[in-house]
Amino acid sequence: MKDEQHVISKIKDTLIKASTTFSDDKKKVLSKLIKQNKSHENGWIIKSILANALVAEKNKIPLCDDTGIPHVILELGKNSNLTYDLIKAIQQGVKQGLKELPGRPMAVKGDDTQRLEQSQGLYKSSGAIAIAPIQVIKMKGPGIKVHILMQGGGPEIRAKTSKIFHEHKISVIIEEIVNWATEGARLLGCTPCTPTIGLGRTHYEATSLMLEAMIKGNFTVQNNLEKEITSKLNKTNIGPLGLSGWPTALATFLQIGPQRASGIRVASLRLCCLAEPRKACCTL
Amino acid sequence: MKNIKTPVSINDVSKLKILDKILITGYIYAGRDVVLPKLVTLIKKNKLSSLGINLDGSAIFHTAVSPAGVGPTSSNKPEIENSIPALSQAGVKLHLGKGALSESTVEALNANNSIFAIVPPLSALLSEKIIKKKVVAFAEEGVEALHLLKVNSFPAIIAVAHGKSIFKLE
Repeated sequence: MKDEQHVISKIKDTLIKASTTFSDDKKKVLSKLIKQNKSHENGWIIKSILANALVAEKNKIPLCDDTGIPHVILELGKNSNLTYDLIKAIQQGVKQGLKELPGRPMAVKGDDTQRLEQSQGLYKSSGAIAIAPIQVIKMKGPGIKVHILMQGGGPEIRAKTSKIFHEHKISVIIEEIVNWATEGARLLGCTPCTPTIGLGRTHYEATSLMLEAMIKGNFTVQNNLEKEITSKLNKTNIGPLGLSGWPTALATFLQIGPQRASGIRVASLRLCCLAEPRKACCTL
Repeated sequence: MKNIKTPVSINDVSKLKILDKILITGYIYAGRDVVLPKLVTLIKKNKLSSLGINLDGSAIFHTAVSPAGVGPTSSNKPEIENSIPALSQAGVKLHLGKGALSESTVEALNANNSIFAIVPPLSALLSEKIIKKKVVAFAEEGVEALHLLKVNSFPAIIAVAHGKSIFKLE
């Protein structure tokens, strides 16, 4: 493992970047909308979303006060070693990042029941927020890439992982996902959203693929299925902040895994809000 | 853009309609899932004044308050939305949050001359509008405690007013 302090510092900076900075492709798509949307009644909302992002990036302050639960995805290249010490350093970097950001202190105190009932209050330090289980995937080339995602509560309320009886037609799967996304977007409030979707054989696999879609998705590079989902959501007229109109969705991020010989597929959908995906990546 | 000062009067409310953009100046309470039901319990026990809380003409923003800033949480979470009728009856005129509200909540707001407005979830920009903040009750809940914020030109869009809702426009 490279120097422990070097890893901690890189992870800390990556977490802060994920929490304060829109990706270049997201800024590009918002700028394009602003140009297209000049006379549109919702144009001010899109402008405000971009203005908020630019202020957050400039001042290194959170894009959203719900700074989210840190999720880490590791891409392992050839000959790379994932060790206990490396995981420990990553966890330490996340902790330091949350403290410096600062993240919203929202770790819940107590035993199992007390945490579930939130009956013992919260830890004062934002660094007390535990990292979600780390996901590992392989990549071409050497090295280790560390992706950090900060997952807010609103999109979690509107997320859904369930089976779909697909009738051997992709149209059935897309229709079901659009129905879920429409229902969620109506209640989300923080639209325009970005539906992020994983399609797999099990609930675990579909959810993992959904997270992978979030790190690999690009607002300016969309395949036909992604375009179709975005287009259908934009016909719902839910609009920015639920105020009706256009757009309801900015893009769709879809990752399709292996499938089983069966009449079911498992889909995991997370409606990223207007501040998400909050993601950044570094190479160790 | 309409300027609104707190406390909000029934006359102020009567002039506002859905899709109006407003800028709020003055004091607003901030609370969410954990403290709003507690506030309702205090109202029912007639113990609100013992905490120095006056809800007459008040505004309540559904948010946590932390060093990360403020931003609307989903007002349609059961603990928040279910508190809206009782809080309105107790004098809250302006509920601030995000997300669609049910028809029964729209009716309860109307029955109490109260309104619901969406605060754009733009925490980096909203932080600049907060002049002062302090905890007024339930300090043990940390960022979810009931706070009092002093705000200047705090932006919102009226989403529910006088029995009408932007969520029923279609």
